[in-house]
Amino acid sequence: MLAFTVRRLLLAILTIWVISVLAFAIIQLPPGDFVTAYIAQLSASGASVSEAEAVSLRELYGLGQPFYVQYAKWIVRVIAGDFGVSMEWNRPVGEVIGDRLWLTMLISFAALILIWGLALPIGIYSAVRQYSIGDYLFTLIGFIGLAVPNFLLALVVMYLSFRFFGANVGGLFSSEYELAGWSWDKVVDLIKHLPLPAIILALGGTAQLIRIMRANLLDELRRPYVVTARAKGIPEYRVILKYPVRAALNPFASTVAYLFPYLVSGSVIISIVLSLPTVGPLLVRSLISQDMFLAGTIVLLLGALTVVGTFISDLVLMWVDPRIRHQLD
Amino acid sequence: MLTRRHFLTSTSLAVAALGVSEALAQGSGLAQSGLVGNLEGSQVVTDAAAMPKSFKEAPELAELVKQGKLPPVAQRLPAEPLVLKPLKSVGKYGGTWRRGFVGPGDGENGNRINASDKLLFWDYTGNKIIPSIAKSVTMSDDGKVTRVVLRPGMKWSDGAPFSADDFVFWFEDIYGNKEVVPTGIADMSPAGKPGKIVKIDAATVEFQFEVPYFLLIEMLAGDTLIGGGMSVGMYQNRSYGCYAPAHYLKQFLPKYSSEAQVNARAKTEGFENWVRMLHAKKDWNLNPELPVLGPWRTTRPINTPTWVLERNPFYYAVDTDGNQLPYINQIVMTLAEDLEVLNLRAMGGSYDLQERHIDIAKLAVILENRERGNYDLHLDLAFNGSDTTIHINQSYTADPEIAKWLTNADFRRALALGIDRAQLNETFWLGLGTPGSTAPAESLPQNPGKEWRSKWSTHDPAKANQMLDALGLTKKDGEGFRVRTDNGERLRLQVQTVRAFLPWPQQMEMVAQHWRRIGIFAEIRELERVLAFTRTQNNEHHIHVWTNGGTELLYLFPRHAIPVDPTEAFMGPEFAKWYASSGRLGRAPTDPNLKKIFELFGSAAGQRDDARNRTAQEIWKILIDQQYSIGTVGQSPALMGVRLASRKLGNIPARACIAQHCRTPGSSRPETWFYQS
Repeated sequence: MLAFTVRRLLLAILTIWVISVLAFAIIQLPPGDFVTAYIAQLSASGASVSEAEAVSLRELYGLGQPFYVQYAKWIVRVIAGDFGVSMEWNRPVGEVIGDRLWLTMLISFAALILIWGLALPIGIYSAVRQYSIGDYLFTLIGFIGLAVPNFLLALVVMYLSFRFFGANVGGLFSSEYELAGWSWDKVVDLIKHLPLPAIILALGGTAQLIRIMRANLLDELRRPYVVTARAKGIPEYRVILKYPVRAALNPFASTVAYLFPYLVSGSVIISIVLSLPTVGPLLVRSLISQDMFLAGTIVLLLGALTVVGTFISDLVLMWVDPRIRHQLD
Repeated sequence: MLTRRHFLTSTSLAVAALGVSEALAQGSGLAQSGLVGNLEGSQVVTDAAAMPKSFKEAPELAELVKQGKLPPVAQRLPAEPLVLKPLKSVGKYGGTWRRGFVGPGDGENGNRINASDKLLFWDYTGNKIIPSIAKSVTMSDDGKVTRVVLRPGMKWSDGAPFSADDFVFWFEDIYGNKEVVPTGIADMSPAGKPGKIVKIDAATVEFQFEVPYFLLIEMLAGDTLIGGGMSVGMYQNRSYGCYAPAHYLKQFLPKYSSEAQVNARAKTEGFENWVRMLHAKKDWNLNPELPVLGPWRTTRPINTPTWVLERNPFYYAVDTDGNQLPYINQIVMTLAEDLEVLNLRAMGGSYDLQERHIDIAKLAVILENRERGNYDLHLDLAFNGSDTTIHINQSYTADPEIAKWLTNADFRRALALGIDRAQLNETFWLGLGTPGSTAPAESLPQNPGKEWRSKWSTHDPAKANQMLDALGLTKKDGEGFRVRTDNGERLRLQVQTVRAFLPWPQQMEMVAQHWRRIGIFAEIRELERVLAFTRTQNNEHHIHVWTNGGTELLYLFPRHAIPVDPTEAFMGPEFAKWYASSGRLGRAPTDPNLKKIFELFGSAAGQRDDARNRTAQEIWKILIDQQYSIGTVGQSPALMGVRLASRKLGNIPARACIAQHCRTPGSSRPETWFYQS
């Protein structure tokens, strides 16, 4: 057990290192660099940049050096906890991400609660009452939720809310609170803005989990031990909740792996469409402008969280499911 | 063909907007729609008798004066402040202007509002140069020396005096520092001969050159590197304009301490070295401490979710009653991650005045929501000839057969005649633009004449086919496309488009359909902007689509008409390198017409106004006759010309000048706008 944990931990560290190399390499793959992107953007607003200037800018940002030198410089600083200064935002990367991190986690967390709160009971109901009207209804809604791209849904919902519920569109705060410090009113304002993005974010995920829960539980319900339990006269709710549901919960535990990065990045496309100040749009923007340090840090962060999530989900699975635990013995 | 008009009448969409849009769709209806007004705006008062004798200030500032935190208004203003006669009435102090911006790269959003930190400016017509920071500018008869007289007693936003020393500081310590500005700029080197800036006395400086430089006054008023003012000149790592706050910036330069000392300071402030620190410190978007001269200063920087500007208590202009401007207390710009959201917010009334990033294709919805959002809509028509311009690469060589046709005048003319501009205008400009060549509007002095608007720029596929046949491109493949003369395969023109400003990829798909009728196959490629930019710089493109905005004043912003600036040299990157490096790099043009254009352009800086404008007309005639760039639809409100203005605001012009040199909305004088209630 301990040996297993240590082995996984070492593997996780190695994986994170590989991710850091890949992240840095992939960001440098597209043609041009931050200076090219910067000149292209500047020129679109009418400025001009001479070749000599471009050369001196590249030197200034250290872009002329070979890949491994740039990587080594970066990773040494990252290990020391300094993620560098974002070229586009002209601020330390830690600050730029930090600004948005907790709001992202708040939205993602709200969505997560919604997903689990809806998917679990509905999944159980659908499996236990298979082929009932309720099951068909949820299946229908579930498939619609799966099939409709949620950015489209976001656009539609946003237009409707603009049309029928007044002015403030997108974002997480009304304009009057945007500047204000934290106060009770601002929290209320935030709570008012939260449901829309949370519901849209949750919809696709909920449908998916309902289907998984339903399928797994159906498998379990047909097992002989369920029949035995029934034959012994155990009350129906206990028959279902005590064993089959617990066994069907495995996929929930394994989703922890991708929950972690999700909590931090939010959904990129929906965040852009709804103009949510989360980390997702930041990543896209940094990739477009080839802001290496910012993009690299976000990708590394997401990668590391996936690895940590996988590690934790392994532990959780062992804890939840005795069958896995005993395989190791 | 389904025209916009038919489309609208056949649907129930946007019923409220129907009447207006229909009127708009009929060219003559523009005036009746009430959306396109007459150019109007605040005027500069120069008559000494009309100057106000005493001065007033915003109540917030009066309070600070009372507390002793600020000197009285008369001491904050220069001895002779700029006097503006507001468009309609003297305004009231107060209020917050809400606006949208799209990120740390959108600095121009605020730069343009603060554009009155230039030496000279254009008035609301975009046709007349007016004093700004400079009280007066006079040029010697030979055009070699230009004397700028400042306003004595003028101050930076921190209260420090603004004087000739700030010009010398910029020239010697910023512009002259090779680590900050690696090479000199053409603006300061007419005919390749570097000029200099010299202090005469505290309030007088001279620009001195070895050769006549009659263009300088226009350059100082225009949106050029030398004349842009500090807001745009010093943002985003740039180091131009022609002055800088010496008293503040000296602490960041090695010259005034030592390299080790400034580098150490950079390290502690989180910058790699002193140069990067200096770039961040002299950028008013980023640094709230930086003293400025414009009407507002930054209090919360652009790299946060809200960019906030607050009035500059030392701003140098007053209204006719002696009230110090600006009227509006602060400007709050909120970050929109997406243009759709920005447009929706504008329509919902979340912004008080927004012309930037507004999408013309949403006009029907914008009209429909005017009451709910409590705003008026104004359509401001631009002066440039063509919002969508098809630039044909004259220095292309990679494929000799393609190069042969791209550099053939009749081939280009045939392409130009093959485009149905009316359909483009109906579909993408909602009928609001003017179809035609690249020529600037007829109201401008450099317009070559009315007939050049339609020269080679009508829809005549029969003639185009005839011309292509005459060129020897008679053979066609199974689908009716003309084939190459060297190997008999289909002649494929690659058209490079970027999704920026306007839906260029979609527009060009329509043009490709038009060209199909003259047997020309165009492959429309939509590229990410940086990739397109890199390909253009490497001379790899056949055709690149971009606007020709800015060319309405050819000498101030020539690069969308003539390949002189390697930054954007769509019609010949090699020639631009050659021109910009005075022949060291790139390749000289061989086309006699192109050579003539370069020659005319090079001689213009030393010509007086009239002669210079005549030269521009000559250049335009050659450009249009040769069709190096094919014009489609222009003089439209498509770029920054769809303006939503809250009904609460006063002194808002019916029509504003939108042009590069007008620094939209700068020349409409945002400092004179105010909240009526």
